[in-house]
Amino acid sequence: MTDILLNSKLGRLLLNYWGIILLIAAWQTWVYCADLNAIVMPSPIDVVIDIFSNLGLYLKNGTLTLVLAVVGLIAGMFVGTAIAAIAWTSRITSGLLVPLGLILSSIPIVALIPILARLLGYDIQTVLAIVVIISFFPAFVFTSAGLNALPPGSSDLFKVFGANPVQRFVFLVLPSAVPSWMIALRLTAPPAVLVAMLAEFLMATPGMGGMFRDSLDDFAMDRAIGTSLIATAVSTAAFLLATYAEGRVKDRWS
Amino acid sequence: MRGLDHNRLASAIYGLAGVILFLLLWEFIGRNRVLGSTWPAFTDVVSYLFDPRRNGLFQRASTATLSKAAGGFALGTFLGLVTASGVHVFPLLRPGTDRLSSFLHSVPAIALAPIFLIFVPRDFVGMAIATMNAYFIVYIAATSGLNNSTKSHRDVFTVLGASRLHRLTLLDLPAALPPVVTGLKYAVSAAIVGAIIGEWFGASRGLGVLIVSAMQNYQISLLWAAVLIITVVSLVFYGLGTLAEKFIYRRFT
Repeated sequence: MTDILLNSKLGRLLLNYWGIILLIAAWQTWVYCADLNAIVMPSPIDVVIDIFSNLGLYLKNGTLTLVLAVVGLIAGMFVGTAIAAIAWTSRITSGLLVPLGLILSSIPIVALIPILARLLGYDIQTVLAIVVIISFFPAFVFTSAGLNALPPGSSDLFKVFGANPVQRFVFLVLPSAVPSWMIALRLTAPPAVLVAMLAEFLMATPGMGGMFRDSLDDFAMDRAIGTSLIATAVSTAAFLLATYAEGRVKDRWS
Repeated sequence: MRGLDHNRLASAIYGLAGVILFLLLWEFIGRNRVLGSTWPAFTDVVSYLFDPRRNGLFQRASTATLSKAAGGFALGTFLGLVTASGVHVFPLLRPGTDRLSSFLHSVPAIALAPIFLIFVPRDFVGMAIATMNAYFIVYIAATSGLNNSTKSHRDVFTVLGASRLHRLTLLDLPAALPPVVTGLKYAVSAAIVGAIIGEWFGASRGLGVLIVSAMQNYQISLLWAAVLIITVVSLVFYGLGTLAEKFIYRRFT
């Protein structure tokens, strides 16, 4: 009996999402029973109505934050990989840079946002720079680790066949860093969206963070929660995409 | 053996040199105003930080933030371990709990703050967000770690008629210890970040309050000094976590 229930579509939906469904139901019931004003706490239905009646606004700000996050993520991964490659070329540069990178990557980046905002000015370029910096450190640390994790014996094989250092780097070292690189991407993609939003919130620049701040200032809780839900969806989508990409790469690489 | 020690010593010297070079570069940029007046020299920040007149300010702020982070860390760890043990004993509940946890984790922290403000006093919002951050990391580490016990060990427990609770406390939880300790190491930083973000929403004191008010009022030395405290504190806890991790891994694997 339970097997039939679990194998049905509805059963699987309940099995996977009972927590979230319960949460939303509790929220709706609470707002309804406590008879809360929408300024204090809107119901989930109010939020959905606000999203659909202001789709243009949500789309505009959501796209802006997403673009900033994606461009910053790509730029940060690129710079991190490039510097890891430079560090790899000699014992001295890697000895100097890798421990420093490890230390800097374990400090709470959120605390640095106010410094970067002051340093670079309150504008959209600063949001981009902040995303670049938060994506840089994982890219650097994981790529450095990947560049040194060659398959056993492969390095000797390249030497025996007389490959020069550049060939060895392009055909052996760089490809073997790809799986670690994908881990860095998966770890960085969701925070990239959230950090972009945090920076926009602190500096009151356009985007989902700015929109959230404006909504709070206007006591428009339905819009504030709507913005958060969209941000949650975007960061979850980023995580799922990166996980999917990582899985595909893993299949191909091992 | 001697060659190995020599290698490790060389790595440590290189690493230290890297950090010193970084601090020298910081000092150079600040002294010569390469990046303008918002980048102070390292020594200026340190002397501002240790100025006896400001001891009280920094001490109060650090104590406030760290106690929120510690409270959130403890509560989040407890909730994470209890929930993970619960879904381990009742596996049917696991997929739904996994999804609820990751949903809550992907809600931006700044969005949680106004919601927590409805339920808890202003000065507890930081602790609430710290709890959420720590919970997720510990939950993930514990759910994967609880499956670490080997099949033959589990079979022994089953054959000897152990209850699910016995197996959990005597076999699965000890086997989960190494990944849980790794999780705890990351949960500390996450709890500190959570406490700071929570303080942006009307807390009366704390490092998060200092940072945001210094940012808005152009108090550059204060801003950098507060960030330096957070950085050093997180690094110290991260270092302690790494030591604990090494000890546990040596003992349990």
